[in-house]
Amino acid sequence: MSELLRAYLTVVVFLAAAGMLVGVSLGMGRLLRPKRPSAQKAMTYESGVDPVGSIFGQSQVRYYIFALLFVMFDVEAVFIFPWALGLEVYGVFGLVEMTIFIVILALGLLYAWRKGVLRWV
Amino acid sequence: MDVLSGPVAGVFRAPDVDYHAFAPELVLVAVLVAVLVVDLVLEGRGRRLVGGLAGIGLLAAMVPVLTLAVDGANRSMVGGAYVVDDFALVFKGLFLIAGYVTMLLSSDYLADDDYYEGEYYFLLLSSVLGMMVMASSRDLISIFVALELLSIPAYMLAGWRKRDLKGNEATLKYYLLGVFATGVMLYGMSLIFGITGETVLTEIGSKLQGPGASLPLVSLGIVFVIVGFAFKISAVPFHSWAPDTYEGAPTPITAFLSVASKAGGFVALMQLVFIGFLGRDDVWQPMFWVLAALTMTVGNLIALRQTNIVRMLAYSSVAQAGYMLLPFAVAGDLAKGPGAAMGPMTTYLLIYAAMNLGAFALVLAVARKTRSGEIASYGGLFEYAPGLTVLMSIFVFALAGIPPLGGWYGKLVVFKTLLDANTPWAIVLGVIAAVNSVIALYYYASVAREMWMRPVPDGDTTPVRVPAGLTAALSLCAVATVVIGVYPQVVARFGDLAVFSLLP
Repeated sequence: MSELLRAYLTVVVFLAAAGMLVGVSLGMGRLLRPKRPSAQKAMTYESGVDPVGSIFGQSQVRYYIFALLFVMFDVEAVFIFPWALGLEVYGVFGLVEMTIFIVILALGLLYAWRKGVLRWV
Repeated sequence: MDVLSGPVAGVFRAPDVDYHAFAPELVLVAVLVAVLVVDLVLEGRGRRLVGGLAGIGLLAAMVPVLTLAVDGANRSMVGGAYVVDDFALVFKGLFLIAGYVTMLLSSDYLADDDYYEGEYYFLLLSSVLGMMVMASSRDLISIFVALELLSIPAYMLAGWRKRDLKGNEATLKYYLLGVFATGVMLYGMSLIFGITGETVLTEIGSKLQGPGASLPLVSLGIVFVIVGFAFKISAVPFHSWAPDTYEGAPTPITAFLSVASKAGGFVALMQLVFIGFLGRDDVWQPMFWVLAALTMTVGNLIALRQTNIVRMLAYSSVAQAGYMLLPFAVAGDLAKGPGAAMGPMTTYLLIYAAMNLGAFALVLAVARKTRSGEIASYGGLFEYAPGLTVLMSIFVFALAGIPPLGGWYGKLVVFKTLLDANTPWAIVLGVIAAVNSVIALYYYASVAREMWMRPVPDGDTTPVRVPAGLTAALSLCAVATVVIGVYPQVVARFGDLAVFSLLP
């Protein structure tokens, strides 16, 4: 077997393990759980929101702001992880740079807070 | 495993940061943060304070620009990706002054209508910061970051009057077309990076002069990148957003977009073309020829038919971009090397900034009384506002290029570059440009005729009250326009300075 294919063996093993895990856990559940179907349970799950009305619905503009806030902190994580891994290597320079970065992002949070975005009305 | 241990392995050396070179940007960042925090704390009660803080900040950022200019040394940082030289400093100065004039125009405009928000100044400063970074960026990535930093606040500012349908249209068109153009440009950059393996422009420049530079893929990359910036400078056929955006945006922002944002696009183009793509003038030269000819002709012909002064000035600024593109179209044929095309472009940009900001300041002043953007509403302006009439005449005739007002010198140096190139194509382009100058005179002069010779449309001759900020902006632009026209050496000196030191 070539070196390349051997490297992919890990992937195959991983896939098999994943499939098994899902199969076993679902199968066990099927055997053990009580079965009492109701209309409520058959409904499409939509993050706790009742799926009523037509398919064309306008969603709250509030979600948009939450999405923006999420992106802000998501991007923060992308930069903080590599820095945290090399914390000692980057030393004081890295610490100062990261502090500046986080302070500027925190300003965004401060802004959102003062504008009342964090309050769910 | 390798992915995780990658950044940790090896010794990290902190880059040397030349704080003097970064000082203008650092000052601007500090002011930007201060403006945001002050507005958040005062919650809109400190309108004058926030505006004043932003204005002072722009002037304060001018100080390190001046000290760097006195110092005179070229500073190159981050492996040549960020360079502070005379070229960068001239444009940083231009952006700061344009930003300050916009601030002067904005303060009363904002106080008068009920669209005030503290974010206005914050966004304006962010956009100026992006332009400052752009002037120093000599790297594909930093150019892209600078472009985003100058564009995204501008998208929001264009739609400032959020309950106004025209404002919505302005911002949506600007945003959608802008993002599309950025995508095209980014694709071009990825092609260039894929072939050269470099992002620093000087490295790309040397790779594109060696073997492999003639690959069709390189040409495609260059075309895509130029198309992206052609949108930013509103060159035909990428101009369609400009008139609608200019009309719908608040007039101070229109002035800002038509001068500073356009100059930002030109700065990026000059850096890309004269450093990165220098070896491939067979690709960009014909492209700029077509762009310049189309931009001048279409801009001027459509401007003829406009009845709204802002739309007319929008098409006029499209046409002016065409004149500024002329040196690009002949740069490869100049005896003194392509770098000789940079001086005329910078000169024209500086003069254009003074004239165009002035014209928009005047539109603002007149609209305070007439509440209208129609050219017909300028009828009989001389009867009740002789001062404004004289100023507007100065600006429109300067834009048309009549000596001894500023514009003529810009046209002179640009035409001289065409003659220096002395190729048949350059001469043809010169003829097209000359015909266009005549066409442009017609619509510029028609504004003057309206003001001087027509009667007042509604008979209302109460004088126009011009607030102090607007007066300051008007006088600044008018003095600059006249002085440059009478004594063009002032601006020619800046044009000579603004040439990259590393050109052959």
